[in-house]
Amino acid sequence: MAEVRLQNVSKSFGRQTALEDVSLRVPNGSFVVLLGPTGAGKTTLLRIVSGLDTPNEGDVFIAGRSMAGLPPAERNVAMVFQQYSLYPHLTVRENMEFPLKSPLLRTPKAEIARKVGEVAEILQISHKLDNKATALSGGEMQRVSIGRALVRSPNVYLMDEPLSSLDAKLRADLRVELKNIQANLGATFLYVTHDQIEAMTMATHVGVLDHGRLVQFGTPREIYEQPVSIYAAGRLGQPHINILPADLFGPAPSGAAYIGMRPEQILQGEGQDSLVKRVEHLGDQTRLHLAFRNHDLTTVIDAHTPLRAGDIVKIQPLKPFYFDAAGARIV
Amino acid sequence: MSDHLIQRVASATPPRLARRIRGVSDRTIAWLFVTPTILLLLAVNIFPLIWTIRLSMTNFRTNRPNNPVEFVGLENYRKILSNPDTWASLQATAHFLISTIVLQVVLGFTLAYLINKKFRGNDLWTTLIVLPMMLSPAVVGNFWTFLYQPQIGLFNYFIEFLSGIDPASFSMIGDVSLAPWTIVLVDTWMWTPFVMLICLAGLRSIPPSIYEAAECDRASKWRQFWTITLPMALPFLMLAVLFRGIENFKMFDLVVQLTGGGPGATTQLTSIDLKREAFEKWRTGFASAYAVILFVTVFGLASIYVKALNKVKDR
Repeated sequence: MAEVRLQNVSKSFGRQTALEDVSLRVPNGSFVVLLGPTGAGKTTLLRIVSGLDTPNEGDVFIAGRSMAGLPPAERNVAMVFQQYSLYPHLTVRENMEFPLKSPLLRTPKAEIARKVGEVAEILQISHKLDNKATALSGGEMQRVSIGRALVRSPNVYLMDEPLSSLDAKLRADLRVELKNIQANLGATFLYVTHDQIEAMTMATHVGVLDHGRLVQFGTPREIYEQPVSIYAAGRLGQPHINILPADLFGPAPSGAAYIGMRPEQILQGEGQDSLVKRVEHLGDQTRLHLAFRNHDLTTVIDAHTPLRAGDIVKIQPLKPFYFDAAGARIV
Repeated sequence: MSDHLIQRVASATPPRLARRIRGVSDRTIAWLFVTPTILLLLAVNIFPLIWTIRLSMTNFRTNRPNNPVEFVGLENYRKILSNPDTWASLQATAHFLISTIVLQVVLGFTLAYLINKKFRGNDLWTTLIVLPMMLSPAVVGNFWTFLYQPQIGLFNYFIEFLSGIDPASFSMIGDVSLAPWTIVLVDTWMWTPFVMLICLAGLRSIPPSIYEAAECDRASKWRQFWTITLPMALPFLMLAVLFRGIENFKMFDLVVQLTGGGPGATTQLTSIDLKREAFEKWRTGFASAYAVILFVTVFGLASIYVKALNKVKDR
């Protein structure tokens, strides 16, 4: 296990800038989640850490050592690919044994078998060990791909949306398992996702990427409670943060163009009237879609609310965020 | 869009015809569609085969149609299988088949592996390499006879250049021990590009991300080749072997042009032998038996091989 540090890393593909001057420190034993929409540069960042791509500028340090010019094999990183990348003609067991059979390691046979069995158990694929990799469902392939990484003890685990094609139940199970593994081993994880639940539940740190730039880095709570911009605020929170004209509820701080309110920043029962447009019962939460002076906003309410469409409810901002015209946070 | 079209066709069909068409079942329509093909296959494939088997048990000669045709049973087969000349030509064929396949697969795969690397001008190289297979076999055979010519041929000159052996001291085509290799060499020159193209398709079908995974899993290039490249390209390789095997079992034009089966009968492949029996000596019944024997051999070998190929593909 080791610390990973990126220093002023830039990468472009032709005219397309994928990463721009990214500096990032992944502390030893931390679980860093990279958030951002498609094209934000998350995968490119992982590939640069792994050594599959080389940065145009800047350097990557693993355990304090510069990785410039080193191929993936010499960086001791384990990577889980979004497209699984299993060895198709091998069985599940052979796929998972593959990294351990590297002549560099000389792992004893019994040790390999024990390790593979253990990881297969965690990933709930023990019964598939002798199947061909091509005879699996998408979710199973993804788990084999995670397993192939977990059997190793690398400097850092790099995972590119590893849970994206699993069903909800399995995803919830594996979130817990991955977090346990990371905590027990003290392993360093660099993890790409756009699932905010994964980010909130597993991450010790979250990095928000926007068009190749790291716009905020901190604990999940910091990102959630103190976002630096509308963009960063929008990465976390279900329902999504409400962004409205700054002076909609009354006087705003000078320079503010937008007011941002998460559901808990909307106080109900006081203030001004708004119209209930729709009540959504989602089971674990109930969402209230409101219309306020020709603007739509969404908040949450007690599951057993008597409110119905057409009712009037009073609302008022509670410690809201203010952003300037460019989207940067000012209060 | 297509619904619209169907509607229009339906409404344009006269009512009486429409009623009649509606009465036809899917099964009948299916038969209507396949029947012409089945008839054609029967006429040009199945019937001649049965006719050949029938002829193979007679002493019929096409150039003497008025001679009485006698049924001789398996006599033709006995004669062929006990004739040392037949075995010599089968041996020549086996030598030709095995040598060309081994050489072409090794060279073709190596070329494909090299050309698959990204480098400047590899498209141009690919085009240049595949040129020989675009030529006519007759032309290739003809100009290689010039190249092999002891006094003026470039091939002998080239050998002299490399080893200092007097070019007039040996003749590739005229020498009993060298002649079988001349045809192997020319066929390899001509058809290695074909094997290369198939192997290239195989190599290009391997997703690059699998190599990236292997890189991260710290597999050496050597291990990547043996555990990823070769197993994943193997079905393509086997397909190339099948194509070349079938092609070369019936090799005729190139060898006739090059050596004419000589010197002696050293390059007399079965197809050439068969053609002489059938259309020079006009022993039609005898040649038919010969053809049946070859057919069974090729069919048997190919079936075993295709089974193996499917097994490899299913892995």
